[in-house]
Amino acid sequence: MESFDLFAMREACNRQKIMICFNGPISKSLIEEIGTALRNYLQTDQVTPSEAMDVFSVYIEMTQNIRHYAAQKGYTDQNADATVVIARAADGRHVVCAGNVAEQEDGESLLQRVEALASLDKVQLKAAYKEQLRKPRDSTAASGAGLGLIDIARKASTPLLISLRQLGDGRAFISLQAVI
Amino acid sequence: MSNLSIPGSQSTPTIEAGWDSGVLSMHGDSYPENSFELFGKVIRWVEQFLSATTLPFRLELHLLYLNTSSIKALMDILDLLEDAHHAGREVSVNWYYDQGNERVAQVAEEFKEDFSFAFSIIGKAR
Repeated sequence: MESFDLFAMREACNRQKIMICFNGPISKSLIEEIGTALRNYLQTDQVTPSEAMDVFSVYIEMTQNIRHYAAQKGYTDQNADATVVIARAADGRHVVCAGNVAEQEDGESLLQRVEALASLDKVQLKAAYKEQLRKPRDSTAASGAGLGLIDIARKASTPLLISLRQLGDGRAFISLQAVI
Repeated sequence: MSNLSIPGSQSTPTIEAGWDSGVLSMHGDSYPENSFELFGKVIRWVEQFLSATTLPFRLELHLLYLNTSSIKALMDILDLLEDAHHAGREVSVNWYYDQGNERVAQVAEEFKEDFSFAFSIIGKAR
């Protein structure tokens, strides 16, 4: 059996200033537990309550979106597989990334929405947010990641980054990253 | 009608509503995965209160972080109050926040923009 190079993992985490890293099925309660750990770390780092709330909020929206998507697609086990990384960035900012496997076409439509949001300034993002907030619930539930995605974009200090890696079976791995 | 009392959890606020007092209060964080499981009961209570009585209604919010699902649910409650206000009912919202966390006040301000009833945002010193 392959042995695990924990030292190399540790070095990689330290170099990239990773605070929290998770890969696997993410349950509702696990989201809460990791979220609590994140809040504690942010408090220890003396991040202001407003900034800490923004980082926490982006983490919650991203992970809950992944679970909503998995539930909507009827993926197995009630639990969505997610890859989550939260790291410290330069000048006191934080990076929240979350990834999941999705149908290729859903990944592409998310990519288009993220790219559309990237062209909006803060005022336009607020208008888009309010418009989405006023849409009937059913239409937002069907599209998923409606209000949450705009909320993430509003809290980010730079445009969101998204990438898709094709997995060859009609699915793709989506990787979404926000700097707060 | 009866009072409403929903204990809070890590991801859901403590919710209390008094039929005689006409006060609905919510304390804490709100980020349940499905906010309508939680807020559906609250929305129904508010609807019943507003239709079955003529008493003034006050919403006392001590909410901290809200996920977008909770924001949508809270918007539904405030929409009910707006309709009642236009029908001549006395309704008000007091949203309390810790002055050390201005983000909560900003969220409250964004709600306030959309409504015409009495909506106070009250900062409390830590």
